Amino acid sequence: MVCQKFCAVLLHWEFIYAVTAFNPSYPITSWRFKLSCLPPNATQDYLLLPAGVSGNMSASHGYYETSVEATFNSSGVYFSSLPKSAFHCCFWSEQDKNCSVLADNTEGKTFVSTIHFLVFQQIGKCCNVLSIGCYFYFQPEVSEDSAGVPQRGSFQAAPCTCDAQGCCECLVPVPATKLNSSLLMYLKISSGGITFQSPLLSVQPINVVKPDPPVGLHMEVTDDGSLRISWSSPTLVPFPLQYQVKYSENSTAITREAEKIVPATALLVGSVLPGSSYKAQVRAKRLRGPGIWSDWTPTHTFTTQDVIYFPPKILTSVGSNVSFHCIYKNENKIVSSKKIVWWMNLAEKISQSQYHVVSDRISKVTFANLNATRPRGKFTFDAVYCCAGPECHHRYAELYVIDVNINISCETDGHLTRMTCRWPTPAAQSLVGSTLQLRYHRSSLYCSDTPSIHPISEPKDCRVQKDGFQECVFQPIFLLSGYTMWIRVSHPLGSLDSPPTCVLPDSVVKPLPPSRVQAEITVNIGLLKISWEKPVFPENNLQYQIRYGLNGKDIQWKMHEVYDGKSKSASVLVPDLCAVYTAQVRCRRLDGLGYWSNWSSPAHTVITDIKVPVRGPEFWRIITGDITKKERNVTLLWKPLMKNASLCSVRRYVISHYTSRNGTWLEDVGNGTKSTFLWTEQAHTVTVLAVNSIGASFANFNLTFSWPMNKVNVVQSLSAYPINSSCVILSWVLSPSDYNLMYLIMEWKNLNEDEEVKWLRVPSTVKKYYIYDHFIPIEKYQFSLYPIFMEGVGKPKTISSFTQDDTEKHQREAGLYVIVPIIISSSILLLGTLLVSHQRMKKLFWEDVPNPKNCSWAQGLNFQKPETFEHLFIKHTESVTFGPLLLEPETISEDISVDTSWRSKDEMVPATVLSLLLRTPDIAKGFVCVGDPGNSANFSQAEGTQLTCEDEEGRPPSVKYATLVSKSGETDEEQELINSSVSKCFSSKSSPLEESFSRSSWEMESQAFLVLANQHLNRLLPHLTFSGLDELLKLEENFPEENNDEKSVYYLGLTSIRKRESDVFLTEESSVSCPFPAHCLLTDITVLQDSCPHFVENNFNLGTSGRKTFVSYMPQFQTCSTQTHKIMESKMCDLTV
Amino acid sequence: MRCGSLCQFLWLWPYLSYVHAVPIQKVQDDTKTLIKTIVTRISDISHTQLVSSKQRVTGLDFIPAVHPVLSLSKMDQTLAVYQQILTSLPSRNVIQISNDLENLRDLLHLLASSKNCPLPWTSGLETLANLGSVLEASLYSTEVVALSRLQGSLQDMLRQLDLSPGC
Repeated sequence: MVCQKFCAVLLHWEFIYAVTAFNPSYPITSWRFKLSCLPPNATQDYLLLPAGVSGNMSASHGYYETSVEATFNSSGVYFSSLPKSAFHCCFWSEQDKNCSVLADNTEGKTFVSTIHFLVFQQIGKCCNVLSIGCYFYFQPEVSEDSAGVPQRGSFQAAPCTCDAQGCCECLVPVPATKLNSSLLMYLKISSGGITFQSPLLSVQPINVVKPDPPVGLHMEVTDDGSLRISWSSPTLVPFPLQYQVKYSENSTAITREAEKIVPATALLVGSVLPGSSYKAQVRAKRLRGPGIWSDWTPTHTFTTQDVIYFPPKILTSVGSNVSFHCIYKNENKIVSSKKIVWWMNLAEKISQSQYHVVSDRISKVTFANLNATRPRGKFTFDAVYCCAGPECHHRYAELYVIDVNINISCETDGHLTRMTCRWPTPAAQSLVGSTLQLRYHRSSLYCSDTPSIHPISEPKDCRVQKDGFQECVFQPIFLLSGYTMWIRVSHPLGSLDSPPTCVLPDSVVKPLPPSRVQAEITVNIGLLKISWEKPVFPENNLQYQIRYGLNGKDIQWKMHEVYDGKSKSASVLVPDLCAVYTAQVRCRRLDGLGYWSNWSSPAHTVITDIKVPVRGPEFWRIITGDITKKERNVTLLWKPLMKNASLCSVRRYVISHYTSRNGTWLEDVGNGTKSTFLWTEQAHTVTVLAVNSIGASFANFNLTFSWPMNKVNVVQSLSAYPINSSCVILSWVLSPSDYNLMYLIMEWKNLNEDEEVKWLRVPSTVKKYYIYDHFIPIEKYQFSLYPIFMEGVGKPKTISSFTQDDTEKHQREAGLYVIVPIIISSSILLLGTLLVSHQRMKKLFWEDVPNPKNCSWAQGLNFQKPETFEHLFIKHTESVTFGPLLLEPETISEDISVDTSWRSKDEMVPATVLSLLLRTPDIAKGFVCVGDPGNSANFSQAEGTQLTCEDEEGRPPSVKYATLVSKSGETDEEQELINSSVSKCFSSKSSPLEESFSRSSWEMESQAFLVLANQHLNRLLPHLTFSGLDELLKLEENFPEENNDEKSVYYLGLTSIRKRESDVFLTEESSVSCPFPAHCLLTDITVLQDSCPHFVENNFNLGTSGRKTFVSYMPQFQTCSTQTHKIMESKMCDLTV
Repeated sequence: MRCGSLCQFLWLWPYLSYVHAVPIQKVQDDTKTLIKTIVTRISDISHTQLVSSKQRVTGLDFIPAVHPVLSLSKMDQTLAVYQQILTSLPSRNVIQISNDLENLRDLLHLLASSKNCPLPWTSGLETLANLGSVLEASLYSTEVVALSRLQGSLQDMLRQLDLSPGC
């Protein structure tokens, strides 16, 4: 209610401002002032109203009804980076005295955004006022004369709002340009129908700016181990700032707090301690002049661990040098830096030369020329450890080394409007999580020698291609501007830039290929000419590259360079003028800059006539008609010209005739290859010309038909040698003559077939010639050689068959010279062998022949001089027919027979018919072969008479031969050994012989061994006890496999021996089984028991088994001829039957 | 005066640094080549070939007429006008030509600096103040005439460069 009365406004300032008449306003700063409102009808003595201002605002001494308090300090409304002022206009009452209203931060930020528009605002607040008006005016900075109180209409009303609590705020826009201007304003307060008006207030907005708090507060450890607190100034501050830093350190050792005011944006606060916690706050204020402190930044805490790495992480590029520092605290005690060692990845100790002591507690390690980090699993960094001797803390520093050497290559298109740059996308795992971007800076002209990363750059969008490359397109381009480009790798720890490269689009031009490329073989010149049109761009001189080759699937290109930039064609020499060539052209700047263009589209030549034919065709003649007559038909034959000779086609052939009588005339024969004319004159010369579209051939062959020359014979000899079915060599010998020999014509034909004569031209200097044709060896050919003289065709030399090859003859003779001596030698050797064999046989035959006086069967026989063996055997067989004579020796073997029961026919009748066939001893091999009687009948020494009966059953002997292995190399001794061993077996009963046999058996034990075929060794082993077997086995093992057939050891008759152990022929003195007696034991006689009972009963005492081992006493019967064998068969069969 | 000399030196410094790196002969060659390139580019724009040289187009006086250019500075001024006109043209082809003109002006400045006669940078001309309205009304005429006259001017410049033009 008091307010509704008259009141006066009294201004109370906390400090006194001088008020002059020239400046009637009250300057206010960021200090509080108070308005006391008085009733409007109060005296105006105390009012200092400007002109034009309503005078109903007055102040009077001692009477205060109402007061308004306004503040411009921090207790008012807050603005961000703007002049903030608050009018606290309150009625002077106790309840309203503490009134204050806080502005909305959001509103403040809005003002911040309006700074860009150079509009500043102020807010005034009033409380407990029903309505309030704020009027402001910026006093222009003019001269003193013009300075004065503005008119009432110059004041603008600032919007004011009041809340329910009576707090009001007024927004006074302040342009940035008027921050330093004086702001005049007054307040008009209406309450209860009474209006109060303040005196003029003056304020300079820049003095009441409250900046935003600093940003980016950060703490880090410097290289020397100090703690560095850094921050950034708030943005858009119209004046320099000073900062107040409040920090605290809390560690186990000390706890301290400090505040410092610094003009910079960083502060070093001393050495950092491991295991400590640091807290810091910063606020800002205008550096010079009045100002308001900003708010404190939020508290930033920095905690150090027991091991401090600074920096804790490093991101760098390949090839760079980096360093890590370390402070190591162990058990509340800082480790001396001298004891610190460094490790990499806990696996590799870093060389001591790489780290050194910075201070007594800081160690520093430096890595030089770093290589890219090789990821280990998901870890894309190298862990650097600072260790106290053998003890390493688990914390580590991280080193990220990324290879950012990315090559950027660019290419300008042929239209010079587009430059495409490509760079590979690195696939390194260390780049996972990083982004790559091409940035560039364009200079006005050219590139610098050392491109560098410009601070102002632009990004360029690139697209990934199928080949993994990024492709960036610049279009349009500045041809002569240097584009400095690099790849920026944005890593979570920072960014790295690849080495910059500068590209001048004009220097990387890939021109369009030359156009209108044509290829032709030039007429009359015979060169391959390629012509083209220069591409429109670039305007620089160009060089060209031509490639050409014969048209086909796989063209063998040949290259040709053209360095004349103004050239539009080039000619090259080609070997074949009548072929289709393909040519392509490409270009490049002559100065070597840029790239080769693509090859142009191929151009092909067309085959046309280039020149006149190189020569006329080769031709020959066939003369028909009666030789005695003077008129004969001559048919000329020629071979069509090939392309390389006709260049490139023949339209027709023309024959030029010349006779002494008729002179020269031409005959056009078209495209034919033969022509006939009548040869009537003494000499008739013809020439065949080839004609194409260019003209007729200049070099032609002539042929003169001359009667006298037909008799000139210069070919002395002619020989034809067939090489194979497709080649024959003709050689000849020419005799010297006075005529001018031009060339030779070789003519041949198959006489057995009616085919045309084939011919060819041979140079006169050639002495032999290879004719390639299809020759049938069994056919008969005729070869003729015609000497062609300038004067005419000479007399030919003709042969009708191939010449015998002397070489072959000589080879045959040489072969004969070799073969004949061999045959003679072989004959002599054979004869000698026969003689030796004969002597041996005689010796064998007669050595053991008993005294004919004591052998009844031998009586009458002249063993000293048998006419033939047949005769001997005939005599023998005759004697065999007399049983008693044959069986007489059987008494010798009676005592050594052993009876054994034979269980089967196979057992009773040994499958193997044994015949010991002693071959001629092989001295070199040291063995004696016992062969099949059929195969070596001449060498048979013994044969059982019963054998034939066994064979009648159609069972061929299964044992082919036996082998006697001997170590002895002496032929005579061996022979003797064999003879004795064989012979002694036959007479084992005889005491001397028994001794002899026994002795010889022992000799055999060490020297020879006879075995039977088709028997297994394992069956033999249990019964062979002599030690020679081992040697034999060894010997057998030593035989080469491929010679097994020849060198196998055969075991003769051991089956029967084993099965009939009692039948083994044993000596009394030794337990050795005789290797030889098997053939001597005529056990098969048992078989004959049924068929020849009488014979058996009368002559054999067979015992219970009816069998008896029989030892033949007639070794001489072991040798028999085939004929004798047959005879024996019949005889014995007769005998058994 | 000292300040003026210093400013002049600083203004010339980028070019002088390039002069050290790039032989002046190469600059001359590049200048000629670039002129030829621009001429060819204009020739490749088909509709410029149809313009009759006998027919005179009025109302486009702001486009420099073809006349023998005597000095590098005059060349630069002429090119500046053309560049401003071409930049205003919406055709895509002329954007590249405009870029080429910028390079060409840079080369001319470099040539001038090599002759110790630095050229002042010519900005937009007042005569082109109403270019927008003209372009709106007669875009085709402006483009055709500008390109045609530019081509002639460039050919003149090419000849002048062989005569070693003055500042």
